[in-house]
Parts: sequence; C-alpha cells; structure tokens
Amino acid sequence: MGEGKKETRQDRMFRSLLRLFPFEFRSDYGRDMEHTFADQRREAEREGTPGILRLWWETIAGIFRTAPREHWEMLRQDAGFAVRMMRKNPGFTLVVVLTLALGIGANTAIFSVINGVMLRPLPYANGPRVVRLRQMAPLAGIQSAGFSPVELNDYRQMSSTFSEIVEYHSMSFTFFGQGDPQRVVTGVVSANFFQVLGVKPVMGRLFLPGEDQRGAEPVLLLTYSYWKNVMGSDPKIIGKTFQMNDRVHTVVGVLPPLPGYPDTNLIYMPISSCPFRSAPRMDTDRDARMLAAFAKLKPGVTYEQAQADAGRVAAQLAAEYPASYPPGQGFTATVAPLARELTEGARPTLLVLLGASGLVLLLTCANVANLTLSRQLRREHELAVRATLGASPGRVFRQLITESTLLAAAGGAFGLLVAGACMTPLVAFAARFTPLTGDIRIDGIVLGFALGVSILTGLLFGSVPALGTRRGLAKTLNQGVGRATEVAGRHRVRNVLVTAQVAISFVLLIGAGLMLRTLVKLQTVDTGYRTENVLSSLVSLNFTKYAESPARLAFFQRTLELISHKPGVISAAFASPFPLDNQANPWVGSLSVEGHPLPKGAPYPHANLHVVSEDYFQTLGIPLVRGRLFNAGDKEDAQEVVIISESLAKRHWPNGDPIGQRVSTNDGKQWNTVVGVVGDVRQYGLNRPPVDTLYAPLLQNLHMGGVLLVHTTSDPRQMAHTIVAAVHEVDPQQPVVRVRTLDDVHDEWLASPRLTATLVGLFASLALIITLAGISGVTALAVSQRTHEIGIRMALGATRGRVLRMVVGEGLVLVTLGLIFGAGSAPIVTRPMADLLFGVKATDPATYVAVALVVLGVAATACFIPSRRAASVDPLRALRSE
Amino acid sequence: MSAKKRETTPYLPLTSAEFHFLLSLADGDKHAYAIMKDVSRLTEGAVRLSAGTLYGLVRRFVSEGMIVEKMERPAAALDDERRRYYRLSEFGREVAIAEAGRLANLVSLARAKRLLARTRPA
Repeated sequence: MGEGKKETRQDRMFRSLLRLFPFEFRSDYGRDMEHTFADQRREAEREGTPGILRLWWETIAGIFRTAPREHWEMLRQDAGFAVRMMRKNPGFTLVVVLTLALGIGANTAIFSVINGVMLRPLPYANGPRVVRLRQMAPLAGIQSAGFSPVELNDYRQMSSTFSEIVEYHSMSFTFFGQGDPQRVVTGVVSANFFQVLGVKPVMGRLFLPGEDQRGAEPVLLLTYSYWKNVMGSDPKIIGKTFQMNDRVHTVVGVLPPLPGYPDTNLIYMPISSCPFRSAPRMDTDRDARMLAAFAKLKPGVTYEQAQADAGRVAAQLAAEYPASYPPGQGFTATVAPLARELTEGARPTLLVLLGASGLVLLLTCANVANLTLSRQLRREHELAVRATLGASPGRVFRQLITESTLLAAAGGAFGLLVAGACMTPLVAFAARFTPLTGDIRIDGIVLGFALGVSILTGLLFGSVPALGTRRGLAKTLNQGVGRATEVAGRHRVRNVLVTAQVAISFVLLIGAGLMLRTLVKLQTVDTGYRTENVLSSLVSLNFTKYAESPARLAFFQRTLELISHKPGVISAAFASPFPLDNQANPWVGSLSVEGHPLPKGAPYPHANLHVVSEDYFQTLGIPLVRGRLFNAGDKEDAQEVVIISESLAKRHWPNGDPIGQRVSTNDGKQWNTVVGVVGDVRQYGLNRPPVDTLYAPLLQNLHMGGVLLVHTTSDPRQMAHTIVAAVHEVDPQQPVVRVRTLDDVHDEWLASPRLTATLVGLFASLALIITLAGISGVTALAVSQRTHEIGIRMALGATRGRVLRMVVGEGLVLVTLGLIFGAGSAPIVTRPMADLLFGVKATDPATYVAVALVVLGVAATACFIPSRRAASVDPLRALRSE
Repeated sequence: MSAKKRETTPYLPLTSAEFHFLLSLADGDKHAYAIMKDVSRLTEGAVRLSAGTLYGLVRRFVSEGMIVEKMERPAAALDDERRRYYRLSEFGREVAIAEAGRLANLVSLARAKRLLARTRPA
C-alpha cells in the first residue's frame, strides 16, 4: 500500500458505521465499500474541510437510508425461504404449529384471566384509596364481627386517617310489580356509598345526602344487570315506582356494570329503607353489629398508617367499653385494600394455573427444539450446501431463527383461537373465586402477551438447534458435503432437552396427582350429614308482613305440617344456615359455660350458632350421641334449650356429661340448658374441620325464615313442585328460591377443586404425551444413527435381547435423570399449591413414588418401540450400509 | 431461446440514481467506484451516490440479474485487485432501454403540451 493509501481514522469510523448493515451484506461488500470510501475521502481531502464535511453528510445519510432496507430485504428472503421449507414439510410444520398452539393458547387463556382479574384497575375510580374496615375478635375465633352503627360513628370521630366511612349490609326484599313477587338481594348502604367508591350512574343519579336519614322518601338504585335483564333496559325507568315489602320506592338511577361485591345484589337502597337498621335501638346499642364498613383514606395516607389508626381506635374503644369488648376476645380492627379483597380468593388458583401452563410452554419449547434438531440432522446436507454456496454461518443461523419465529407466530395465531375457545368456560371457572370476571377478554394487552410469548418461544426453541448448527456447520463441511454427521455436542443437547422434559412433566404430574388426591379426599370425606334425597329451598320471609312472632310461628308450623304429610316426604325442617350454604354468614358467638370460669389469659371459647326446627337432625341424618333431640315442647315459654355438637361437648366436658349443663352466648345475660349432643358436621366446607356448634330450636328463636329442607323417599327433584306449592298454599306471595338437592349443593362445592384438578391434570397429561413423543423420537433417531454400530455388536455375538436392553437402558438413564431433577424441584415448584390441597401434603411420598412409577413405565414403553427396530437390525446389511 | 422473456415493467420507473447507474455501465464494464464517479460526471454533480447507496444498488441489481460481476480480471499489471468489476446484463440493458423509452415518451408528451421547445433540425 502506498503512502496515500494508509488507513486513517476516518476510514476506521466508516468501517464502524458499516456495522449497521446486515452481516451478509458486510461480508459481501464491506471491503469494497471501505476501499471506495477511502478513494472518496482522498478526493474530498483535496477540497479541504467543506469537501470532507459534504462526504460525511452524504455517507451517513446513504447508510441510514440503505441499511434498514437491506435488513428488511434479508428478512423478506429468509421468511420467504422459511415459508417454502414449511410447505415442503407439512407434517413437521403441522406438529410444531399445533404443539405450540396448545402451549401458547393455554398460557394466553390463563393470562387473559389474570389480566382481567389481577392486573386491570378496579372498576371503582377511588379503588386504590378505599379499604374494607373489619372488626374482629381473633381470640374468640371471630374473623369478621361486623360493626354496629354506634361503633361506626365512633370510628368516624376518632380515626385520623379516613376521610369518609360508609356502611353496607345486604337484605332480601320481596319485590312486587314484575309478575310473581320476587326475592331480591338488596344492598343497603350509606347515601354516599357509591361516591366513596367512585362510581358514576349510567342513568339518573346516585343517592343524595339525607336520603339515608329516617323518614326520607324511599328510593332505589338498580344494578346494571337488573335494569338490563329484568327491566328490559327500560330507557324511561327513572322515576318509576315499585313496591318492596310494604313500601313504594322510586327508581332514581341505574349503576354501571360492577362486580358482584360485597354480595351479588340486584338493587341498592339507602339505610333508611331497612326497618332493622332504622330501629331506634340502633342508635344506642353498641353490640348490634350487623354492618360492613368501607373507608376512604385521606390523601397521602398509606395502608400501614390506616391499619395502625384503626387498631388504635379499636384499642381505645375496648378500654372504654369492656362490656362490649370482652378482654379475652382480643377485639381489634383491620383494613384491607379493596383490590386484595376482590382478588384474594382467586390468586392462589390462578397463579398455580399460570405456573402449570408456563411449564407446559417450556416443555413445548424443549420438545419443538428437539424436533427441530432431529430435522436439522436431515437438513445438514442442505445447510452445508448453502454454506458452500456462500451462505455465512451467521446467515444460516438467522435463517433458522426466522423459521422458528415464523412457526411460533403461526402457533401463536392458532393459540389465540385456542384461548378464544377457552374464554367462556374459564370465565365461569374464575367466577367461582372472584367477582372481577366482567373484564376478562382478549384485549390489546392479551394480544401483546401472545405475540411476546410467541416471539420468545420462537427464539427459545430456535436458538438451541441454530447455535448447534453454527458450531457444527464448519465441522460438517470439513468432513465433506453429503455426509450428514451427527455432531456429538448436538446429541448431548438433545439428551439434555429430553431430561428437562421428563423433569417438567414430573413436576406437572406431581401437581396433578396432589390435586387429584385432594379431590378424592374431599369426595370421600365424612360430611356428618345426609345429602341423598334431600331438597333445599330458600324461604326468606317478608319481614314487614311477618314482623310479629305469632305470624312467623304460624307460617313455620303450617308449612312444615303441610309438607311432612305429603306422600313421598319422610321429614321436613327449617334451618339457618344449612351445611355448605355458601350464601350464609355463620353467626359466631362467644361461649360461656356455667361453672367453668375462664382462666386468666386463656383464649375465649366460641361456637357457631344455628337455629333449626324440630326434625332437622332426622332430616339430615345427623346422629344423636347423647340426650335428646328437640321436640314440640321446646317452645317460646318453655325452658331455653340447646343441642351441642360432639366436638364442643368434648372440648368443654372432656370427661363429664354436658346434659343438663348451661351455656350462654351473651356473657351470661341468658342461659340455655344443654339437652342433647349430636354428631359433628362439616358445615362450612368439605376442607374445613367441623366447628363447635350450638343448635337452638326454631320455636324459641323465630327468625325471618331460612332454608326449608325436605327428606324424600325418592328423587327429591320430582317433589320440588309439590313443596313450592305447599309453601304457596300457606302464603301465595312467599318467594321460594334456590331449589336444589343437597347432592347438587355438595357437587357444586366440589366443582372448584374438581375444575382446578381437571385443568392441572390436563396440562400434566399434555406434558406427558409431548414428553413421551420426545423420548420415543430421540431413541428412534439414536437407533437409526447407530445402525452400523449395532450391526457390529450383533456380528460380534450380541443377542437381540442384549441390544434391546442396551437401547431401552440408555433411554431410561435419561428418564431417571429427569425424574431426579423433577423430584428435586417439585417440592419448590409445588409450594404455592399448599393452599389448594386437602388431606395431602405437598411433599406426599406416595404421590411422588406413584408418579415416578407411571413416568418410568410409560417411558420404558416409549423407548421399547424404537428399540425393537434396533434389535431387528440385520448385521450384514448394517455393515454393508457404511 | 425458448425461455420466457422477463418483463421489465415491474422494475419501472427507475429512480434517477438507478437509471444513471445502469447508464454508466451501458458503454462498458466498470468497478463500483468508477460507476460512482461516472454518475457524478454524467449529471454534473446533480446525482451523487454515497458508498451505502452505491453498494445497496449493486447488491440489488446483482440479485435481480440486471448486472453481473465479471469473473475474468484484467491483465495482472492493470488489475487493481481490490476492485470487483460489473457488467450490464442483457436484462439490465432491456430495463434501461425501457426506462429510456418511458422518459422519451414523457418528453414528447411535454413537447405536445408545449412545455418544451421542439428540437430544430440541425
């Protein structure tokens, strides 16, 4: 090179700029361009600085114009080639696209639920600033005691972190005016309840200040669904009047679609419309706790500060009014952000499902990577030829990545269809855990997720084989084109992939196994009561019509008498609540036992209180352990009696006889004599142990109705009409709703764990099938590549059995390794499942052993099939084939 | 030859840079730098190809078969071994002719509309 041709700094800068071009372009023209630029530079230097500046301006502009075009062109070529390759191998393409569609589809579907439930902002404008305020007495087992109006007033005055506190409770009203009288679940709220939540009506207005004061005109807000479904989206609904119980209410507004929280109410009223809440004693009785409370935080207040504040007020009240807050019960107050309240129930299940679907996708990637590796082996020749024709290793790498990304994109597109098809059942599934299902849909975020997952999947399953190729190509070329040689490294990669697949499948199967065992345990758990041939129906009395107890007594007595004399009826009873009643809030009270003073500092005993009619225990087949059941003599003017559950009896009279002893649920204000002990019942969930329960006779506690239970001789469904007719014979205006058999209630309770188990099981089965295909494929490929070696072995005297054992054994080594890794990681991965399990530990050895045996057995079969081909190798032909 | 004749229409119209590139090769094979200088000279500096644009065109014209890289090299003494020489292919010539014809048509149209003076016979 002459003097003038020496490389300068400008030349080096230009070379750096060339990096903006695709690798292939640079390898083709990079040097030429550098020479050309050097020539241009020398020429420009003659013109001085203006010449140099102009050259650089033109050069940079040219590069920024051309480089993106070259990248795009390269991508277009790669994509075109990839599409041709996919068309040429329709079988491979179909398998890969479908596998990926299942993997990506499952993840997208689960993600759309998580997005709708957990990621989206709440449909309340003030959502992040609103908390649920709870009063609890943990030492007495009371998780949510409710507030009395007196207490809420104290909290309003004494707290410093809440700008507003509003109250809520739910009641059933009888609604007249749309055909038959209906029972409508109604939210009864402070006038500013919706303003605090940040809800705007879609029509009309919200409640006005003062509308919750006694004597205000009765007004109503309709929920969106009630207005749409029952009122036929009547555009002139505002101002219309409807009778509810005994009062005529005017509709003032329609709410927007909102989650069914705190209850699935159909209508809202101000508290002035509720006769119980408006009773004068509510102004003075600190213990009349019937309300839920929500509070809006003052600006800048954190949840922690609000929590401390609520606790401080509770402690102050407890010190001031010890009679209302018995010291042993540990009364306190807590706050919970609204978002947590709404999603808490769904979080564990959704996260477990996301984890399971994520594992399936990972496994899908491993499997597709393996498939691609195997196919690559057959493509080695083609790739090597392309390399000799000038395709750089970078170009081949890029080509393979483009192919895998395109396959993943196609998988993603079909995956969206899979997700779309899953939407309706998944929304129904999620609705079991959270009211926030209105926002579950495939939106921009979900589409973005699907796209992101597809691209990531493509890169993940494409890069493993492509990297192998980049390293292996040079070796292949050295050995000569036309001889497709397995590179040992790649064989190792495939083995690692299969091991990973086995490990992932094992973890998923453990998850499914644990869920299945949970389900079996739940199905076989002793409920303590009869579910066969019992019909339940909800009969809530119109509390204005039945304000006096003689009216209620007459209704209960006549109804039970009429029904128990119907043919086919064995017995009938009223109860509140009944077992597994998911709509009832259990009444939990503190329990005092006469003659058993509470030792200082001991936790306060508590019990759940149920009100049942005479034949309740016979109707549900709950056994009498000791004493007697209720009878007609247990009336209002007789001695006040209770029946206790066996666990309660054992706790308080471990060695004595409870019959004749007296207990109180109101700190000794009133004592009830124990007349009987009955068997324990799983009242609040098959997964929850029986709680200490007190049963009080209906005739001494004439409440506002409850559940009518009828034990029949045959299928109770056929009796439904007769039973409803009997109630109407007593009171034609009495709504009878939620008519279900106890078997249905039991099944309905099991539906959530069953669905979760089914979904995890589905993921695990999918994983197992994909893994078996993987093991089988790898073994088959290993056999076909080792035909020569196997031939030599057989020529040297190896028997068929020995060859078979060798091939199956090598496959099983991978499987065993996978099982070891799986068993090592399963306890960590399945830890979040603990909340969903019942009667089985997350590390249950029996499940581990059973799953390992299943995987081993099925894997052995998967290895065996290709191994038979190995054993049938004809040594002579195998040797000649080389 | 029985091979189907390639259509030139999809490649038209050419940009000024593309057309001048092809024109530059019409009277003989050149290396890229020579093409660059030729284009600048032919257009009196109005069309200046930067290195990026120039090699972008080279890559495209080669892949579209409008130019071919010459395999034979000049005599060793004359050969600048850094250079690669390009020749206008038959198809490239057809594209250039089609573009020239298109421009000629435009020019006659402009004349008919009296936007340009008629050429006087010498």
